[in-house]
Amino acid sequence: MRYMKIVIIAFLGLLICGLTAYSAVAPKTQIQETVDRVIDVLRDKQLQGEARRQTLSRLIRARFDFSIMSQRTLGKYWRTASSAEQEKFVRLFSDLLEASYIGRIEAYSGETVNYGEEKIEGDRAEVATTVNSGNTHIPIVYRMVQRGEEWYVYDVIIEEVSLIRNYRSSYGEIVRKEGFSGLFRRMEEKINELQQSS
Amino acid sequence: MPKAHSLCLAMMFVMISSLITITWADETGASGAANGEASSAPSVSVQDWTQLDDNEQELTVWDPIEPVNRGVFWFNDKLYFYLLKPVARGYRAVIPEAARESVGNFFYNLAAPVRILNSLLQLKGREATDEVLKCIFNSTFGIAGLFDLGVGLPADRDGEDFGQTLGHYGTPPGFYLVIPILGPSNARDAVGKVGDSLTNPVTSPYYFKLKTIEIIGAQALDKINLISLDKDTYESIKKDSLDPYLFVRNAFMQNRAAKVDK
Repeated sequence: MRYMKIVIIAFLGLLICGLTAYSAVAPKTQIQETVDRVIDVLRDKQLQGEARRQTLSRLIRARFDFSIMSQRTLGKYWRTASSAEQEKFVRLFSDLLEASYIGRIEAYSGETVNYGEEKIEGDRAEVATTVNSGNTHIPIVYRMVQRGEEWYVYDVIIEEVSLIRNYRSSYGEIVRKEGFSGLFRRMEEKINELQQSS
Repeated sequence: MPKAHSLCLAMMFVMISSLITITWADETGASGAANGEASSAPSVSVQDWTQLDDNEQELTVWDPIEPVNRGVFWFNDKLYFYLLKPVARGYRAVIPEAARESVGNFFYNLAAPVRILNSLLQLKGREATDEVLKCIFNSTFGIAGLFDLGVGLPADRDGEDFGQTLGHYGTPPGFYLVIPILGPSNARDAVGKVGDSLTNPVTSPYYFKLKTIEIIGAQALDKINLISLDKDTYESIKKDSLDPYLFVRNAFMQNRAAKVDK
């Protein structure tokens, strides 16, 4: 009888090890961590001004891959850009996304976030979340890609609207009509606007 | 039981559980390869990030009357900032949020026939039943729809409309159109709106038979009420996007396409 018990415990132990190995790198856990930490920073009365912005910036850039987002946004125009233009775009786009995002979340007033299902296929994942504010529930889905142990966000889908797909279409129009110089000018103006207003 | 026998069993268990563990752990790797991407670990370096995902399509919007649309968009923008928003602000200052939520729920409940009919037209029986139940429940226990009790039904408030019904049966959206006051739409959905006005109790000549001025009054109240509950959505779009017109256009078309597909 004792041997049976040991065998069963060993069996269960291995099963558990197997399960843990499978879910060790969970995209949902990682995005939840980031979002929760961002909310903590927003709630922290001690942290204000520049220090706050730096902390938020660090948190965001650790989880959002702006370089991938830049390529997806420019699409076919990425290849037509020189490497200097590519670099400039990534830099501007990162600053723009960060300023927009921080601008939005500065309006935080006690919203709560629910985490729904995560779908994993190979090195890609989709994590569903809901932001609750009073009676409204806004579904936000994060599309993530795995590199090593970490999962990075490469698209955010709000109420079925993919942000990157939207940027891709809008920026594509602007490049088509005004070229890269027009695009860069507009981006720089917008970044200044955003940074001055906050 | 004899020691040798139990040792054999132990070994069998160990082997089986290892096999299971390995298969589980391998599943993620295997389906990754099946996706047609480079299956080696740092697949990002081989990945062409300028392409959208396999299940996504390029967003192309047909906008042949763009100058006109931009003009109407500009007009709606001014209307919002100079008329609708100030009125909504005043309204918000006077009426508490709970009451405004109730007003919103009331109009939402009142529009149930539109959702029910269009769910039925699309042969979505389950949805239609949900909407009927919601309507009955909210109208009775929810006191004429002032309280949206939900009753464990999906929180998705959007529901079907005639534009989606047309889309469901294959009508493409057509050209993009910005309607004065009402905002972004497209050829198909504009026709849909006309259809909806016949089924919406407030605007329809078949239900309450309201006078035109009453219809306009009711719709204005609904709109102002919604704006008073909104958390500056349009303002943040204007603030963040390089071209608000393009952003609204693309977001709208994506959202409608997703709704038609659902």
